[in-house]
Amino acid sequence: MRKYIETSKLLFKNQLVYRFDIIISMVFTVSKILLAFVLWGTIFGNQKVVVGFTFSAMLSYYVISSFITQLDQSSNAGWQISTEIKNGSFSKYIIKPMSILGYFTAQTFGISAFLVVFNLLAASLWVLVFRIDFTFTSNLSLIAAALLLILLGLLFMIQLNYYIGILAFRFVDTSVFMMIKDNIIQFLTGALIPLTLLPAGIIKVMMVFPFYYISYLPSMLLIGRNGGEIVLGIVLLIGWNGAFWILNHFTFKKLIYKYEGVGM
Amino acid sequence: MTITKHCKVLFMLFKMKLSKNMAFRFSFFGVCFVDGSLFLIQLLMFSSIYSQVGNIGGWDKQEMLFFIGTFSLINALNMAIYFFGIITIPNKIKSGELDLYITKPINTLFHLTFESIDLGSVPLIFASIGILGYAVSGMSIQITAVNIIGYSFLVILMLLLYYDLMVILRTLPFFVIQANSLERLEGELATLCFKIPGTLFKGAFKVLFYLILPYGIMATVPTQFFIGTLTPLGFLYSICVVGGFTLFTLLLWKSGLKFYKSASS
Repeated sequence: MRKYIETSKLLFKNQLVYRFDIIISMVFTVSKILLAFVLWGTIFGNQKVVVGFTFSAMLSYYVISSFITQLDQSSNAGWQISTEIKNGSFSKYIIKPMSILGYFTAQTFGISAFLVVFNLLAASLWVLVFRIDFTFTSNLSLIAAALLLILLGLLFMIQLNYYIGILAFRFVDTSVFMMIKDNIIQFLTGALIPLTLLPAGIIKVMMVFPFYYISYLPSMLLIGRNGGEIVLGIVLLIGWNGAFWILNHFTFKKLIYKYEGVGM
Repeated sequence: MTITKHCKVLFMLFKMKLSKNMAFRFSFFGVCFVDGSLFLIQLLMFSSIYSQVGNIGGWDKQEMLFFIGTFSLINALNMAIYFFGIITIPNKIKSGELDLYITKPINTLFHLTFESIDLGSVPLIFASIGILGYAVSGMSIQITAVNIIGYSFLVILMLLLYYDLMVILRTLPFFVIQANSLERLEGELATLCFKIPGTLFKGAFKVLFYLILPYGIMATVPTQFFIGTLTPLGFLYSICVVGGFTLFTLLLWKSGLKFYKSASS
C-alpha cells in the first residue's frame, strides 16, 4: 500500500510544475457555468421554477457538478495508457513491482487531491462573479454520503478509462473510443443538464448504471436533495467497481500477449 | 498560379491524403462517430429541456433543432475540408517543418489548408442535412429558392469565418511560440457558442461573441435567415464581419511568415 501512497504523493508534487496549466484549466471551467448562466437565465426569465429548481439552485447544481467533473482526471490516464501501448513505452509499467491498475489509480488520486484546492477556488470565484445565491446543504450526513460517492465514482472512472486504455493492445488506436466515451459520459453523469429533466422511465434505467451516481447524485445531495438514493448509490457503485475490477483483470491477462513492446 | 493549377494541386493533395487515411481503416470514420455522438448528445439535451419549457428566448424546439443541424453542418464541412490541415500549423512553426511548405512553388496557406482533407467526415455532412430536413418538416414556414440559396450562402460565409478564426489563433505561434492556451480557449468558446444561439447572449457577452470572437454568429445567422428572423442589417453585419476577419487573417499570416525564423522560431 505504501508504494501506492508514495506514487500519489509524487504525482501530487509533480502537479506543481504545471501550475500555469492548472490555472488555465481552472479558468476554463467558466465556460460550463457561463453556458448554464445564459441558457437557464433565459429559461428562468419566463418561469420561476423548472422541475423543482429555482435559478439559484440550478446554477448551484452546475457549480458543484463542474467541480466534481473537474476532479476526475482519469481520462488522461486512459489516453496515457493507450498512447504508451501504441508507441511501445508501456513496458516500463510491466516491469514495475506493482499492479498497473493500482499505479494509475494512485496517479489519478494524487492529481485529483491536488486539484481539490484549485477547483474549490474556481467554484468560489464563479459564485462571486455570477452573483449566485449559492445553495448548499448543511446536513452533514448528506455531505459525507456525497464525498463517499465522489470517491467511489472516481474509482469507477479510473477503471473505465483503464479498460478503454488497455483495449489498445487489441485495437492499437483507441482514441475514437476515448472521445466517444467522453462525449457520452458528459450527458450520462448530468454534467450537461440535471438528469431530473429526463422522463421518469429513462431515469429508472439510468439508475441501474454507475454514471448516475458519479456526479449527478453527489451534486444533488450537496444542494440538499435525493437523500433517499444514497444507499442504492453506494451499493451499486461498489458493485460496478467490483465488476470492472474483474473485467480489467481478465482483459489485461488476455490482451497483454498481443503486446510486442516495439511501438509504431 | 492559375486556378486550373490550384485545382490540380488540390486534387493531388486529396489523393495523397486519401491513400494515407486508408492505411488506418478503423480510424477512417472516427471523426464522424465522435462528432456524431456529440450532436446526438446535444439533441438529447435540448429535447430534455424542451420537455419542460415551451421556448428558449423565443426559439421553439424545431428552430433549435435547425440551429443544431446548422452547427453540425458547419462543423462537418470544417472537419472535411480544412480542420486537420490548419491544426498542424503551430507544430510546423515550432519544429521548422514549415520550411518544406514555404519552399514549394505553391501558396503556403493554400497547401496547409487543403493537405488534410478528411473524407471520413463526409457522412456527418449528410447526417446534418438529415437533422435540418427533420427540423424543417416540423416548421410551418414556406421554403423558397431564396431561403435555400441565402442559407447556403451564409453557411459558406460562416465556414470562412470559422476558417479565419482558426488560422488567426494558429498564426500567433509565429510571434509568441507557445499558444496552446489560446487554442484551448478557442475550443471552449466554439463549443459554448455552438450549444446555444447567439441571440441569447446579452451585454458584454454579446460584444465578445458577436464582434471580438464572433463564434456566436456562426450557426445563429444562417438559422435566423432560414426561419425569417434575420434583419437586413444583421445580414449586412455578418458579411462585414467575415470580410473584416478574412482581411485581417491574410495580413496576419503574411506578417507571420515574415517573422518566421525556421527551426529557431
